[in-house]
Amino acid sequence: MFQNVEIALGDLPDMEELEWQQLHPRYVRRMQAERIVVVMAALAASALPYLLLDGMFNSSIPLWLIVIVLAVPFLGWPLIAVPRRGYVIRDKDIIFKSGVVWRSVTAIPYNRVQHVETSNTPFDRKFGIANLKIFTAGGSGGDLQISGLGLETAEQLRIYILEKVGASIENH
Amino acid sequence: MQNAWQSLAPFAAFVYAYEGELVTSFVLGGTAFFVITTTVSVLNYWFFRFQLNDDSILIRQGVIKKKQTDIKFDRIQGINTQQNIVFRYFGLVTIKFDTAGSSDNEGNLPAVSRSFAESLRERIGRPLGRAPSVLGDKAELEPLLTLGWRDMVRIGLSDRRALVVFAAISPLIERVDDKAYSTAVNYIENAAGDVFQASVTVAIIVFVAAVIGLIALLGAVSIAAALLRYHNFELYLDGNTLRSRGGLLTQHEVSMHLGKMQTLRLQQGVVMRMLNRYRLSARQARSSHKQSKSKNFIVPIVTSEVADHLRELFLEPEGDELIQIPASVRFNRISPYFMRARILFVGLLPTVIGVPVLWQIFGAISLLAIAWLPVTVILAYQSWRHAGYHCSSEGFVRRSGVLGYRSVALLYRKVQRVSVTQSRYQRRKNLATLRVYMASGSVKIPYIGQDTANQLRDYILYKVESSQQAWH
Repeated sequence: MFQNVEIALGDLPDMEELEWQQLHPRYVRRMQAERIVVVMAALAASALPYLLLDGMFNSSIPLWLIVIVLAVPFLGWPLIAVPRRGYVIRDKDIIFKSGVVWRSVTAIPYNRVQHVETSNTPFDRKFGIANLKIFTAGGSGGDLQISGLGLETAEQLRIYILEKVGASIENH
Repeated sequence: MQNAWQSLAPFAAFVYAYEGELVTSFVLGGTAFFVITTTVSVLNYWFFRFQLNDDSILIRQGVIKKKQTDIKFDRIQGINTQQNIVFRYFGLVTIKFDTAGSSDNEGNLPAVSRSFAESLRERIGRPLGRAPSVLGDKAELEPLLTLGWRDMVRIGLSDRRALVVFAAISPLIERVDDKAYSTAVNYIENAAGDVFQASVTVAIIVFVAAVIGLIALLGAVSIAAALLRYHNFELYLDGNTLRSRGGLLTQHEVSMHLGKMQTLRLQQGVVMRMLNRYRLSARQARSSHKQSKSKNFIVPIVTSEVADHLRELFLEPEGDELIQIPASVRFNRISPYFMRARILFVGLLPTVIGVPVLWQIFGAISLLAIAWLPVTVILAYQSWRHAGYHCSSEGFVRRSGVLGYRSVALLYRKVQRVSVTQSRYQRRKNLATLRVYMASGSVKIPYIGQDTANQLRDYILYKVESSQQAWH
């Protein structure tokens, strides 16, 4: 039966008292491990001028110092950024928040989801991590990507969202 | 059941036949060219086949590399036709299928009869089982809008692309200019004898004439382009389908189902503002391909009354209160803090960094770069003044622009996702930026109160989640 209930703005469910779900605890480690590889590569690259043009550079130490100074915040960043990300699964939509300086909260209603995808790289698998991508119409690539979920959580979420999407289509 | 192999008329060959008439010294090359193009077009024609099924159309083409395309009717967003001057003589059109899920329209049917295009449109526009409308012939439809030659002049004058053309041909003009200048100086020197006097006067005359000539030329080119594309432009509303038709040599016919419209935008550039006219465009869902542009239905020029009338028709009945005319008093201002970030990052920062750097290279002249600062201040102020939004219970309109105006109207129930973003600075001032993602792209309202943004987001989510209608 068709119902058209008048809704007062204040009565709408708001996002103030949401219980945010944290990402998987190992995700910080996984990000740091990836970043260590990048730092190692940078260190190796900064040794190149010394090895190739030894006439012009006496040593690579200044370059290394720069790399190491930059590496500290680079490696520490996941510790700050990851706890600030979170998601909430509601009955009708999924909400994801992220950002340290620019904070954003994105909500996708299930009845607008086109498809859902879970993925993980070999690197992710080592840490038991998976990523969830949710696609809506008109976007390019993953419209909402929740990286750093546990393998099981990601799979559960994928199935749950698909069920919700299916239910919203049947209601039409 | 219409299941026969249909063939095409070999008129593509005729198109190329016109190219055969070349100057005598090129007769040989011309003949070779003619033979090759004729062969190619005949072969293309020969290997082009299409088959119409119950729910899809199958196109096979290619001489060496075969290509087979199967287009499902329910994926087709619209059928657009084009008719060039040769086709018009023979009463043929080229059908272009506008499909969801492909970057360009992937299937073209060249050289089919107009009545066939109509019947196909009839079939795809209406689901199977429903009887075709009595109002099949468009001649009976009253056009919503027709554009005359005055409008062509207006479109031409306000075309932003004229500036691009200007940039492209200006080096060329310069050279011609030099030559004209020296010739003119020589001529007048000979006539007058007073060298100095003459050259100054001539310089001024030539310069002014060149500028006027250039502007006139650009205007003429631009107007010609408008005429070429929009000559005899007519806009129809056939049931729930918008149709436009126009063009001088090649006639373009574009159609769009009203339900598929995602955003409706009204634009007014500087010239349009002087002419008191607007450009209206309706955006359709963008396909999921990367870098695909959204598909637009364009009404190149309208007055504010017509724009308002069309908006009512297009967004009916929910968009009743979504006034798009920029002058409307319904628009709410956004927070003036909006200007601060712009002035800081576009104005102050580049100046503070740029001036010392330029100083090293150019010396004291680089102080002129400080003039950048007031320019950004003025621009930031302008874009704040032009920014605005207003909401109804079914949708909102956002207004923006620096020198001109652009206002975008959308319905909440077609929103795909919403996000609220806050920078550190915005958090301190309790401000936020709301961005809604439509299937055609995103629309953002920057620097509104945090509570307003959150409330609007919750309301949009409620509208989307309780909507029983399809968004496309």
